[in-house]
This record gives sequence, C-alpha cells and structure tokens, in this order.
Amino acid sequence: MEYIIADEVLANIEKRGLKVDDVKSVIEGAGDDRIYNGSVFIAKKEIGDLTVYARYAVDGDKVTVEAGYCHKMKILDIVLVGEDSEWKYCKNGEVVKTGHTNLTYLGATRSGPSLVEPKSGQSWIEEYLAAGALTTAEGLFQQKRA
Amino acid sequence: MGYEELFPPNDLKEWHPNAAKRFASPFVDNYHDRIDVDPIMLSNAAVHCGFTIRDFYEKPELGIHCVGYVAELFDLLPVTHWFFSLPWVRELGVTLEYKDTLPPVSTGPIISEPEDVLKLEPIGKEELLKGSTVPLYYNLYDYVQKNLPHTLVPISYGFDLCGAGAELVGVENFIMWTFTEPEVAHKLVDTYVETSINGAECLADKYGSAMLIVGSVLANNDIFSDEQVEEYSAKKMRHYTDQCFRRGAGPQVFYHLCGNHETDWKVFKNNLIWSPFNVFQIGYEGQHEFPADKLKENFQDVTTIMPGVDTKLMINANPKKVYERAKEVLLAGRDAKKGFILGTCCETPPYTLPGNLLALTRAARDFGTYGTW
Repeated sequence: MEYIIADEVLANIEKRGLKVDDVKSVIEGAGDDRIYNGSVFIAKKEIGDLTVYARYAVDGDKVTVEAGYCHKMKILDIVLVGEDSEWKYCKNGEVVKTGHTNLTYLGATRSGPSLVEPKSGQSWIEEYLAAGALTTAEGLFQQKRA
Repeated sequence: MGYEELFPPNDLKEWHPNAAKRFASPFVDNYHDRIDVDPIMLSNAAVHCGFTIRDFYEKPELGIHCVGYVAELFDLLPVTHWFFSLPWVRELGVTLEYKDTLPPVSTGPIISEPEDVLKLEPIGKEELLKGSTVPLYYNLYDYVQKNLPHTLVPISYGFDLCGAGAELVGVENFIMWTFTEPEVAHKLVDTYVETSINGAECLADKYGSAMLIVGSVLANNDIFSDEQVEEYSAKKMRHYTDQCFRRGAGPQVFYHLCGNHETDWKVFKNNLIWSPFNVFQIGYEGQHEFPADKLKENFQDVTTIMPGVDTKLMINANPKKVYERAKEVLLAGRDAKKGFILGTCCETPPYTLPGNLLALTRAARDFGTYGTW
C-alpha cells in the first residue's frame, strides 16, 4: 500500500498525539469493519486507552489519509437511532444512521452524537466531534473528577 | 471606578470550591453534597444588590457581577451568566430599546413583505465582529476573566431561534406565514439560526469553546401544533447545535423549553443533539409545572434534567409553599440517571423574594442530599 498524507493532515495527526503508524494500523487492520461513503472509509481501532480513527480514500494500492483522530471516551451502547446517513457498514451492507451513543470516561457515562449501525451495535465518532466537543468534554471530565 | 470595586470577593476558600464540586457532580457521576439549585437568576441578582432591572441589562458587567456575587448568598451555581432573549437581532437590523422593568425589547418589525424576507442573508463572522453582540460578549467575558475568573463559562446564546427570527417581521405575521408562506417563515428562522451559528464560532474562536444556550419559547403548544414545533423549532435547534459543534463550540448545552410544551415535548428527544454535558428543561405542561417524573422518565437516558418550581410562586409571600413544591419536584426526579438540578420553570422573576430563594436551597438540602435516598 502506498500512503499519501498531506502535510496539514500529518500535522493534525501529530497535534492529536497520534503517530502515523497508529493510523496506518487502523487502516491495515480494518478488514470489513469500517464504514464507507463512495470511496471514502472510516475505520477505528482501540489502541491502549484511545479509540483511534482513520478516514481515508482508496484508489487501487493508493491510500489517501484524510484524517487521523482519536478520543479517550470509551464507546458503549447505542442510545438513540436517527435518520439515515450517507455511510454504509462494510461488514453487513447496512445503512449507517445518525444517532447517539453512550460513552464512558473516568467512571462517568454520558451520551454523545455519533454514527450508529443498530443491527451490529457499532458506533463511530466523526472527526469534528472527536477533535472538538469530545476533546473539550474529556478535559472537563478530568477537571471535574479531580 | 469599575463595577468590580462595588463587590467584596466571593469566598474562595469554602463556598466556591464546594459549590464547584457540587455543580460538576451530576455531569460526572461523582455525587457531592446535594442537588444543585439554579433559579436562572438574571436581573433579580441586580435587584438584590440595590440596582435596577434596567441597570442589569444596560450594564452587562455590573449585571454579571451581581449574579456571581448573589449566587454565594443563596448557595447557587458557582458560574456566571448574563443574557436576554434577543441576541444577534441587532445585526439583522432590529432596534432594541432598554426598559425600566423589562429586558431589551424590539421597537418593532423591520420587514413587512414576504418577498423582502427572501432577500435576507445571514450575517457573517467578519460583520459580527464589528457588530454589537460579539463585542458585548467579548467585553463581558473579558471582565469576568479579570474579576471573577472562578465563575467564567463563555456562553453563546442562540436562545429562541424561532421567536428571534419572528421578531424581524412581527410575531403575528410570522405565525400567519407559517400557514400561508411557510418558505418565508423558514427563511426567517434559518437566517437567524445561521447568524447565531456564526456568532457561536466567534466565541469559540476566542475562548477555545463556548457553552450553548438554545430554546423553544415562541414555538410551544399555546401557539403551534406539535408538527409546527418540530419543523420551526426542534429541527432548527438540532441544526444549530450540530453546526456549532462543527465550528468548535460546545460541548455544554442548556436546552430551555419555555412555556407550555404539553404534547410537543415528544418531538425534541429524537431531534436534539445530546452531548456529554447537557441540561434539559421544560417549563410547563398546560398551566402547571412540567412534571419532574415525566421529564425523568423520558429524558434521563440522554441528559441531566432540570425540572422547576413555578415562577409565580417565587414572588408570592409564602416561602413554605415554595419549599413544599420544591420538595415534590425533588422527590419526583432526584434519582434521574444522568443527574438532576432543581430549577424554576423559567428565569426567576426580577422581584423574587429572598425568602423564596432560600426555600429552594433549603428544600435541596433537606431532600436532595446524595446518599440519603
């Protein structure tokens, strides 16, 4: 596989405390356990205490990494299932929905917006949430549990 | 002389640390002390300090300092807020005037023809930075950062998305157009919503994040059907929160459903965005407080709930009645899975009696102490 990672994407990956190898390992270990929208995929993998994601496009042997991100909150069960999203789950072909998932961190369980596939019970967090509101939430949990 | 010279400091050794721990507790499953009390105190704080309602709104820094100072008196929240229901409308052309006994109100509609509504465009960030609302909040939070840093939570207010959009044409026209010219009614609300989202991004840019306060006030069952509330309010609130999150605001959200939401409450759960830190409040079911047990049963899996005591009771010379009602609310909802805050059904009135605020806190101490139920 040939990886293409733009400087800006690389900088974001490093800013988030991830290594490129983490993101590559998500991609290489995904198999069918990923969602797709056209030629773009999102895959996730638990690495240590983090859930690490890769969003990437595949063209033959070339993999263009669009984003690598992570969250510390651990994904639990689906709480709410909403409308269809543009994503499908590779493993079963089901349309992925917008929804909410319980997330747990430092002993507290709260729900957050997510992409969900109810039949498999799988959830995914999008980059804007993981790198934005969830990162702030994790900081608040750390402060408030202190 | 700055307003900060009018106030002694908060007790930062005992009161504030304890209040801060209590405030955090329902959100992080680390219960501390007792159920918190939030009477949504605004100009009442100024009145307690000897100022007027007009002072509160005309002098935001004074107003927010009153809120931070008085919170200690009644052992309320350790954070400050200051707001009124019509942010962002000035940038859209509405003129607001200050009143002696009211928050700022519009001097009247600025658009009368539907075709003029269709020409409206949301106000972009650059223009908002030069407008009145963003500088107002920047000045306000800079003041808090300097003088009351222990209470700072930068907040961006979308507030009443439907009602604020309606202000541009007048509520009567707006309601009529929801039936006769729905695309015009949607355009009004959407213009306000997009402007508010841009405003939230301005706040998030400066402070790194921004709590969101957004509600459904005009859109309630006294005026609209459930379907209209869903179309003109709940879905707009979803879009607002989703887009604000995408622009760096959140994760804290306070959803405030003001007025009568007798049956339309059902449209909100599946439409709203629920974050790890949200509080959900519904004011009334018909003429009565929205039942705490119903709020708990239907929303406790996604949010901290904030049922309330009728605001009418807060100006009634009968603290015992407030205490008894608060007790009922507490007993009905205090074990909500994702936390409970004792509120009032809306902003506590400007002339709320101190004895009634004490009655709320007393009830929380007597019936909201963690570990006793």
